[in-house]
Amino acid sequence: MKIFPNLKDNEKLLKQRLTSEDVTFLPINLGETKATIIFINDIVNKDSIGDLVLRPAYKLEGRLSFKEISNCFLFPEKVEIYTIKKVCDDVLLGNAVLIVDQSTTALSFGLKQFEKRAITEPPTSTVLKGPREGFVESLPVNISLMRRRLKSEHLIFENVTVGKYSKTPIALCYVDGIADKSLVKKLKGKLENISIDAVLDSSYISKYLGEHDISIFKQVGNTEKPDILAAKILEGRVAIFVDGSPIALTVPYLLIEDFQSPSDYYNSPYSATVARLLRFFSVLLALFLPAFFVASELFHLQLIPLSFLLTIVNSIKGIPLSPSYEMFFTIMIFEILNEASVRMPKYVGMVVSIVGGLVLGETAVNAGIISAPTLMIVALSGICLYTVPELEQTFSVLRILFLVVAGSLGGYGILVAIAIFFVHLITFENYNAPLCAPFSPLIKEDMKDAFYKGFLSELQFRPKSLRNKNKRRIDFDEYSKGE
Amino acid sequence: MQYQLKTRQVCLFFIAFLPLAKLFMMPSVMAGKANEDMWMCALINLALDFLTAFIILKTTSKTDKNVYQLLEGKVGKGGTKFIMCLFFVYFLLKSLLPINEQKEYVIRTLYTLTPTLLYFLPFFFVCFYFCTKPLRVIGRASDVLWLITSLGIIILLCLSIGNFELSALLPVGANGIANVIEGSYATLTWFGDGLYLLFFMGEFSYRKKDNLKILGCYLLGALAVMVFVIVFYCVFTSIAFRQRFALTEISKYSTVINNIGRFDYIGIMMILFSNIFALSIPLFFSAKILSYIFSIKKKWVSPLIVVLFHAFVIIFLYQRIHGIEVFIMKFTGWFFLLTANILPIIICLTAKKEKGYAIKEN
Repeated sequence: MKIFPNLKDNEKLLKQRLTSEDVTFLPINLGETKATIIFINDIVNKDSIGDLVLRPAYKLEGRLSFKEISNCFLFPEKVEIYTIKKVCDDVLLGNAVLIVDQSTTALSFGLKQFEKRAITEPPTSTVLKGPREGFVESLPVNISLMRRRLKSEHLIFENVTVGKYSKTPIALCYVDGIADKSLVKKLKGKLENISIDAVLDSSYISKYLGEHDISIFKQVGNTEKPDILAAKILEGRVAIFVDGSPIALTVPYLLIEDFQSPSDYYNSPYSATVARLLRFFSVLLALFLPAFFVASELFHLQLIPLSFLLTIVNSIKGIPLSPSYEMFFTIMIFEILNEASVRMPKYVGMVVSIVGGLVLGETAVNAGIISAPTLMIVALSGICLYTVPELEQTFSVLRILFLVVAGSLGGYGILVAIAIFFVHLITFENYNAPLCAPFSPLIKEDMKDAFYKGFLSELQFRPKSLRNKNKRRIDFDEYSKGE
Repeated sequence: MQYQLKTRQVCLFFIAFLPLAKLFMMPSVMAGKANEDMWMCALINLALDFLTAFIILKTTSKTDKNVYQLLEGKVGKGGTKFIMCLFFVYFLLKSLLPINEQKEYVIRTLYTLTPTLLYFLPFFFVCFYFCTKPLRVIGRASDVLWLITSLGIIILLCLSIGNFELSALLPVGANGIANVIEGSYATLTWFGDGLYLLFFMGEFSYRKKDNLKILGCYLLGALAVMVFVIVFYCVFTSIAFRQRFALTEISKYSTVINNIGRFDYIGIMMILFSNIFALSIPLFFSAKILSYIFSIKKKWVSPLIVVLFHAFVIIFLYQRIHGIEVFIMKFTGWFFLLTANILPIIICLTAKKEKGYAIKEN
């Protein structure tokens, strides 16, 4: 519906639509012309309304045309709008809208001012060396953090609004000339087609971006750090920012991403390689150690060396639970403690660790409910799981699954279960990127940043696993010419 | 053109899968027929497969068509379906014995305390799942499994170092050529790997000198089999034919096992894991062929039929499986020879160079 020429009609209609009590209709005079400024009380910068709108408005004299009125506001974020719906949308976004009598055009001033958190180091990816900035919940701040890192005309942001009630601004971010344009188009189309009441966090969006409806594995990457995101979009990925969320999503996602810690790139390649190998080994231990231990105890005693077998036999003497139930019970306790420690207030966290670690663990062993080897294996497996925190949730589900298989079908059952996940993983693709690249399919060039972290001079090309343009990222020929 | 496989994956396929099924019962069957000349049985069969692979690769360099298109152009759709029926039966029979021996191995060696068929049944789930996937699953599995297979074999061979006597192979040819040929004939079901190349034809971008790479990797896989067979006989000599499962037996005299524990199980588990896929591959092709013959569009129907057939044989013909085993080894050798070697060679030798087709440069 277009804006009426009569100010009273517009006001009447807008008051019917914007019924909330925090919406302010402020009548002002622009010379001899009547006008009204509409805004929501607590989300606009009132000082700026006074300085940039009201002060110039009261200096006006005589009967003025809309163009003359518009020219007197020297405001950078000033947009002309023509429909009642857009007036409502802009007011709800936090802007101030000026409607003028005898004019079918309104002016929207970008005066929104939300409370925001300070930029801090994200708790999910702390580093000893390297940048400590993290994204916050404000989209403009996050965009500014990216702009600060990539001062290029090729850094592109495309905006979409999603959410019937939340009308959440979402920004797609990519580097033009590196990212695959068809991927950007596909993602934008997906975002525009989302019909949802509200987008309260980026995780709401990630469910829509996956190409497979059911998968235990992640289909969309995420990060809270601008330096990592800059590196990812320079590899050809597309990032998605959601207003109100400090977590930026990245597409396409490769499983190896979560094994690459930010500190790998700020430390020496030697220590990074060792750290990565440790991470892979830890994940294997976390996933399979409890399962293989139970399978060995129940079905394959011949696998356990004799001296260790005697220790186990001594420790399980008098334990009322079977090995699989015992392991399952201990893992459940670990998961409950984990869940409680995340939800509890920080000052109670200490109590949880003492009660959980010392009282429950120690006493359970002494009371003969669980055995010491089982407790040790669960503890080791739990610690190992956190070497790749991004995949902790997926892996803890898989760990329980493998344990159930081990308890019922033994070692060969575990091999078969691994084989099923293996087939699933190697054939899984999202936006034409194989999840298990560069291992399967084997991509020699990308292996320089997989198990082994190559020197910077070895990483001359962008990953082949992603369908990116402009393959070369470091040109050493140019560098030597300069010398 | 979007290819399902890469040349590298075809190369790694032979390293990953060629030796696997041959590490269980086959060495003892060969030893039973030809004693110290058993390595010659393996050599003859591997050479036959090498020749088949060589001729198929020659044809691959002449055309970009896959085997179905190639045959349809030559013998029409009906003729192709008839030939494919032969290949279907071949793949179905080829996997029967290795799956049964895997089942026997799992039940009798891994579950000594509670041996029951139940523990082996989940294999059919993974087999079904594998068969529902497109051809690229084989390539991608090869990319990872070549390392696991190689490590598994190396671990087992290393554990048997010091326990074998190479002179046990002497005198060469003492058992006579007839026994060697009988040994080769009886073990044909475990070979025939060259035939896979016929089904990879047109599914990967063939470039100049790719045949050298592929045949080189075939030879590496074959070398692993030869070394394993020779070491196996040299460890057990005249009682080799009594060692039903070479995989476990080959390292049993190792001092490491006695001092530290069953270290060999690391290698065995690796090989068992790779073998799950190696056993699924013939079923994969039989499912694809079945879909072609009856124009089945739903991707799960053919795999289900094929896997159910095998599950039925393994579960319900449990008591008669030994008879089936003997029948396959004694009477079906000619069929294996015909379908895995002679037929592909005839198909390839009669194929003409496609007009305007040129091999891509590297």
